[in-house]
Amino acid sequence: MDVRDDLTMNDFLREVLGFTGTKFGCGAGQCLSCAIIVDAPDGTSTTMPTCIVAATEFNGKSVRTVEGHARDGVLTPLQNSFIEHFAFQCGYCTPGFLNEGQVLLERLAKAPIARADVERTIGEALDGHLCRCTGYVKYHQAVRDVILADPDRYLT
Amino acid sequence: MRPSRREFLKWSVVSGIGLSLSRFALADIPGFLAHETLPGRGVWHPPVGRVDGVAKVTGAKLYASDFRAADMPGWPVETGHALLVRAPDASHAYEGLDLASLPANAKPTVVVTADDLVRAGIRVPDFYKGDLLCPPGKTPLYLGQPVALLLFEKFDAFDRARLLFREKGLLKFGKETGPVDAPNYGAFRFTRIAGATAASQDVYSPIQEGWISPGFVESSGRPVWTVLPDAKGPEYVKGATYGEAIRAELAKSDPAVLSLVRDFETQSVDPMFLEPEAGLAWYNTGDRKLEIVLGVQSPFEAAGAIAFMLGEANSGFKPNQIDAQYSYIGGGFGGRDHTPFPLYVTLAAMFFPGRPVRLAHDRFQQFQGGIKRHPFKMSSRIGVDRASGKITAFAADHVLDGGGLANYSASVAVVGATGAIGMYYIPKVDVTTVALHSRGVTAGSMRGYGTLQTMTALETLVDEVATALPLDPIEFRRRNALKVGERTMTGNPYSVSVRAPEILDKLEAHPIWRDRKQQKARATVGKLVGTGVACAAKDYGTGADCSLGTVTIDAEGRISIHSDAVEMGNGIGTALANRVAAHLGAVADEVTVAQVDVFDELGLVTSGDPYAISQAEQDAAAANPRWVPSISSATSASIGAHVGTQAAAEAARAVFRFGLWPAALALWGIRATDPRASLWRDAYWQNGVLILSGLSPLPLKAIAAKAHEQGRVTGAMAHAFSRWAWAQATFAVDGEDWTGNIDALAVRQGSGSFQRLDRKTVAFPNTDYNRIGTAFASMCGTTVRIEIDKTTGALRIAKAYSVLECGEALVPEIVLGQSQGGFAMGVGYALLESLPPFEHGPGDGTWNLGRYLVARGSDLPLHDLEIEVLPPLSPNEPPKGMAEVVMIPIVPALLNAIYDATGHRFQSLPVTQAMIKGVLA
Ligand code: FES
Ligand code: FES
Repeated sequence: MDVRDDLTMNDFLREVLGFTGTKFGCGAGQCLSCAIIVDAPDGTSTTMPTCIVAATEFNGKSVRTVEGHARDGVLTPLQNSFIEHFAFQCGYCTPGFLNEGQVLLERLAKAPIARADVERTIGEALDGHLCRCTGYVKYHQAVRDVILADPDRYLT
Repeated sequence: MRPSRREFLKWSVVSGIGLSLSRFALADIPGFLAHETLPGRGVWHPPVGRVDGVAKVTGAKLYASDFRAADMPGWPVETGHALLVRAPDASHAYEGLDLASLPANAKPTVVVTADDLVRAGIRVPDFYKGDLLCPPGKTPLYLGQPVALLLFEKFDAFDRARLLFREKGLLKFGKETGPVDAPNYGAFRFTRIAGATAASQDVYSPIQEGWISPGFVESSGRPVWTVLPDAKGPEYVKGATYGEAIRAELAKSDPAVLSLVRDFETQSVDPMFLEPEAGLAWYNTGDRKLEIVLGVQSPFEAAGAIAFMLGEANSGFKPNQIDAQYSYIGGGFGGRDHTPFPLYVTLAAMFFPGRPVRLAHDRFQQFQGGIKRHPFKMSSRIGVDRASGKITAFAADHVLDGGGLANYSASVAVVGATGAIGMYYIPKVDVTTVALHSRGVTAGSMRGYGTLQTMTALETLVDEVATALPLDPIEFRRRNALKVGERTMTGNPYSVSVRAPEILDKLEAHPIWRDRKQQKARATVGKLVGTGVACAAKDYGTGADCSLGTVTIDAEGRISIHSDAVEMGNGIGTALANRVAAHLGAVADEVTVAQVDVFDELGLVTSGDPYAISQAEQDAAAANPRWVPSISSATSASIGAHVGTQAAAEAARAVFRFGLWPAALALWGIRATDPRASLWRDAYWQNGVLILSGLSPLPLKAIAAKAHEQGRVTGAMAHAFSRWAWAQATFAVDGEDWTGNIDALAVRQGSGSFQRLDRKTVAFPNTDYNRIGTAFASMCGTTVRIEIDKTTGALRIAKAYSVLECGEALVPEIVLGQSQGGFAMGVGYALLESLPPFEHGPGDGTWNLGRYLVARGSDLPLHDLEIEVLPPLSPNEPPKGMAEVVMIPIVPALLNAIYDATGHRFQSLPVTQAMIKGVLA
């Protein structure tokens, strides 16, 4: 597919592909409501804002958006935890938090951490994401509960 | 003379344009409404959580900004794009656009200017009075005023033009004219002098004498507060004479009275809901129908405003029908209540006939054009009897900057003024307020409007008084808190619970407050520790609030709810489902919100302004069984839980009483003559079965099937209206008189269609309730401990506790979430957020996040924030508004804590790190 050099990934997803699960909040790399997951060939994943990065930068890269977390209608533990904790209100920031939380869980599954570091680790992971509705508390609790519910996987 | 908080456009002004919803036929792509019906029939969802939970974690199309033409069945597939160009200058004459500088691949197909609007016969709704587009030759009325609408066929051309406009300006300005003067938006004086005893009549009060406004200086439009011979009318003279007497008393020097005079200033901020305003519209020239998708807090108003705008337009610009569809919204906080944005979405479609077109703000544009919070300048004087620690008198003058358009300015002024004494009882009060026009971006509704500003000034002043007396700040508040039955400054008592003593006891006993001295003494090297406390009593409701709701149950026992309330994150859909479930035994699997046109069967009509109507007019109008004072109101003013769920709850109660209950009796084999047949109030639901002691429990499904089989009531549609009390009406249902806190009702029997029932009697709240400032208030108190770094001035919130009362919490998790969110917004307002008012402010189009700071997780005590929601006073205490009150006390509590830590009282917001560092140097 041909795209304009200066078309952002965000506009590519939303305007060209119609994947509007990835949100647009600021267009300035400040809110991360537009963040998606980029899976590197070495098996690691990171999130990346899409609003300030050209779509062409993602050429050949493997990415995941909020639409891709649930499989065959079965939600991931993190999606369920967000719902059960009433983690979001308007939900506009949710795709970004979900992607960030998912990347964190996958990282911890590979490199578990001590129980004492859980809160700080979550805090650092989510801090770039803005939410105007919730005050963040329930998002943190939702991620923490997924970690604590599966200590063999995420904790040392 | 009361400013309508809910400006109201009646269907009758709509000049022959039909305003009805034609449901989408089932097509291969699901219709818009299918996206917005949650959780959706047959869709799996977790047993707990919000009804919109699954949609929101899976990235489903939900918000107005998610929809393109291709998502809409029956629409052309291509989406056009509109660019609303706004003026970054409001002191030079605007001279047009420099479109020649746009390269060919960024040229618009259509350019709409002020002239085009005139030619098309476009009218401006009163509420948005002013030029929709600034004509060349004129100086823009305000920074950020739209000047032109550019329409593009393709996204790429639009996108290039958008960036070029941002980088290069491309607007031409001529000679310097200075800003445009315009009259102020409203000025009021609220004065009350209590009678000799609590029981005696007030000497003077707004509720007794009516509300008063001063005269104006002709040349400047400034109000004249003092009593001049030419002041407006004898009513003003009378009130002002009492007001001036209060001021004279405060000015007297009396050693027995502590008297303080303080100024306080607040800043302009942006609601910063995360989804910028967006809309999609298509004017189908074939059948001359305008279809429009919007996300607003005031759907009914938006449809009316659009219809008015086009009502007298020339033939090419006047649709036969407008089909307005409303989506979930990505945050609102008041900032999407009555904004002009939907008008521009409409214009984009009307000037691009046949093509779907999308208008969506980016964040720069949202800062430039979105509604702001009013900055206030306040001067307050307070007198306190030193011996008793009781406030004897209070006077204040408020000046609001309303920005470019009137919008809600007059209402914000009133709400701020009538909230100026917070939770206290004060026998003598005199408050003046004026909302001015300026060249700033328009200020309007935003969470806690008016009171956030005035209660912050008050609660910091109260703290200073307590220090000066000296008296413990909580004890001082206890001595002065308004008690049940005592009158507010408009002269009426609250009609809801008043729980100040409990809130104060809770604060006093909390370890943050109790251990404040030890904590201060224990501060580590290089740190200052301080503790602050503050309270707020926040009004909710507007004095003319209403809701529409339909509840149906099918033969399988599945429940559907339709409501006109808007879901902006406040969980209204979930609250509706829970409130209905209490009557019908199960949570609905189909909930739609923001519906304004599915209640036709009620056949409602209205007339008059609900705020200004006389008793005689109301009595005459009420004789028509279809008349109501107001049809639909915005979802705002924290009325969501209290009002937004009322119609649906009452509808559900009727479905139970006349549908499920008789069906259950049939299943139990109880005859109508059996005394047990009247025990419907004693039956209750448990896990989907209906229980009445001594009888076998009945599953909902069986009861619903029976109700359908017998042709009982299986659906009800209702309208509720509140003017500080519910309208109440009686209807004949199934041959019985049925009374509810509603004023219109239609029912469905079996699988039939809805039939309107004429009310037999109705009692609307008296019109003189319109003189009430507020009769509803929720209370919240906060105590906070902070730590300040002596060298950098950095402030960290170590611990915070907020205690709140809000009656019955319909969805406790959501109340808690909203409280945490309000706390975060309060922290941002107190310490971070600020917009310069004029040049170099948001109106210049260069503002975005990053430069504008809102609270992040790391700014908050995520693991040290404790929120306590007091249980309702009684099991049947109704829900009270709470979304706004929680953000207020944290603001003054932080300032009071900063004083405790630094010894410095800041008299303006925000208090930034640099400012703290400044006073420590
Ligand atoms: S939209 Fe990309 S960071 Fe805000
Ligand atoms: S839930 Fe609304 S912005 Fe986060």
